[in-house]
Amino acid sequence: MGINIYIAIPIMGLLAVIQAVVLPRFPIAGVTPQLLFLVALAWSLLRGPQEGLLWAFIAGIWVDLFSMAPIGVSSLAFMVAVGAAALVQKILPPRRLLSIILLAGLATLVYLAIYLILLTALGHGISANGLVELLPLLLLHILLIVPIYLLMQSLLRTFRPRPVEL
Amino acid sequence: MNLGRTEQRIRWLTLGLLFGSAILLTVLDSTGLLDRVTSFVRNPLVGITSWTSERTDTVAGALSGPRNLQTALGEIERLQAENETLARENERLLEIQAQYQVLQELFNRAAETPELRRIIANVIGQDPNPILQSIIIDKGFDDGIRVGMPVEAARGLVGQVYRVTNQAAQVALLTETASAIPVRLGTTRATGMLRGAGRGALPTIDWIDLKYQVEPGELVITSGLGGKFPENLVIGRVLSVERNEAELFQRAVVQPAADFDAIEMVFVVTDFETVDTDVFNQTP
Repeated sequence: MGINIYIAIPIMGLLAVIQAVVLPRFPIAGVTPQLLFLVALAWSLLRGPQEGLLWAFIAGIWVDLFSMAPIGVSSLAFMVAVGAAALVQKILPPRRLLSIILLAGLATLVYLAIYLILLTALGHGISANGLVELLPLLLLHILLIVPIYLLMQSLLRTFRPRPVEL
Repeated sequence: MNLGRTEQRIRWLTLGLLFGSAILLTVLDSTGLLDRVTSFVRNPLVGITSWTSERTDTVAGALSGPRNLQTALGEIERLQAENETLARENERLLEIQAQYQVLQELFNRAAETPELRRIIANVIGQDPNPILQSIIIDKGFDDGIRVGMPVEAARGLVGQVYRVTNQAAQVALLTETASAIPVRLGTTRATGMLRGAGRGALPTIDWIDLKYQVEPGELVITSGLGGKFPENLVIGRVLSVERNEAELFQRAVVQPAADFDAIEMVFVVTDFETVDTDVFNQTP
């Protein structure tokens, strides 16, 4: 677990810069995928919810450093979504791509719902049209989770870190 | 058996610690107690962000050329048609301009024109949160930027500085729900409050008196009331009016002049003359 923090911090930092600076220049259907969330989710699916939640926490902190949102909001949204995906993962066939796609869809919906609740409570809102505009994000995450998952799987196989169970 | 319980406890403890930290950070940051710490963390990020932004611009420019060739041909045809319309309109405007220049000279003699002090800033990033709408600029506290300063692009008002670090600032767009700007309509001179409606919706002007016959197309400018924005900054045009005789006020939906998806450079208005409200402080 300890080593993973040191890996997660720079990786998520780099992804946060890409998320805030590079991805907005290349929007797909008006939205940009939440790269940090997808990486945290893929890590959770590969290495278990314990490490996934830690990665989601770090990812959220990085996102909020570039955002108007108070620090911690994204961490909460990401952790609840990754936790929900981990719970559903138990009843789905393990390591099947279809399961991963379903989990990405579910986790994205949960993460958006939590974002919405928290940000509305903090005085930021979104219209019904805005919610419709965010729907392509769901599709985008479903499409992107597979290459991200496979990429991280191959990286893990290459470096073969020893899984740590708490 | 005991080992299993200990493991379980550690798991719950880790989980509680992570969620507890996130909630604590949210509360502390919302109340502004984390400002110094977050500024300390955000400051070094600006250099990396600016560097990445410049490289991304280069790559985006190189990629957009060949890919958009067919789109460009269609665009040329559309622009040629538009050019003819604009040429006719231009002749009409030249007449109006002649009249306007006379009036302008008279007006300049009669009134002092407040000089706005502006700082040019590059847009180096956007809010990574899909629900919030803000941009990150490469000028900050060290350049004289302060929270609340108005930010405008070449075509119109963009929003207001929301957060400042030493070398960068976050600008909340006027479409954000937290945004409230006192405005005036160009023709009817009616005043109201422009409020953002969040992602996916256009901002609206509330509290317009029913006695004004507001029409779509009317120019929307800042009124300067409240002292947070200078007068006469262009915001956009009225797109539609929601008027109900049973109510005391009417609402107008506004199409902002600035294209928020294509802003590359902005002006931060650092100093301006506020509307004189001393008359309200005088004793009768």
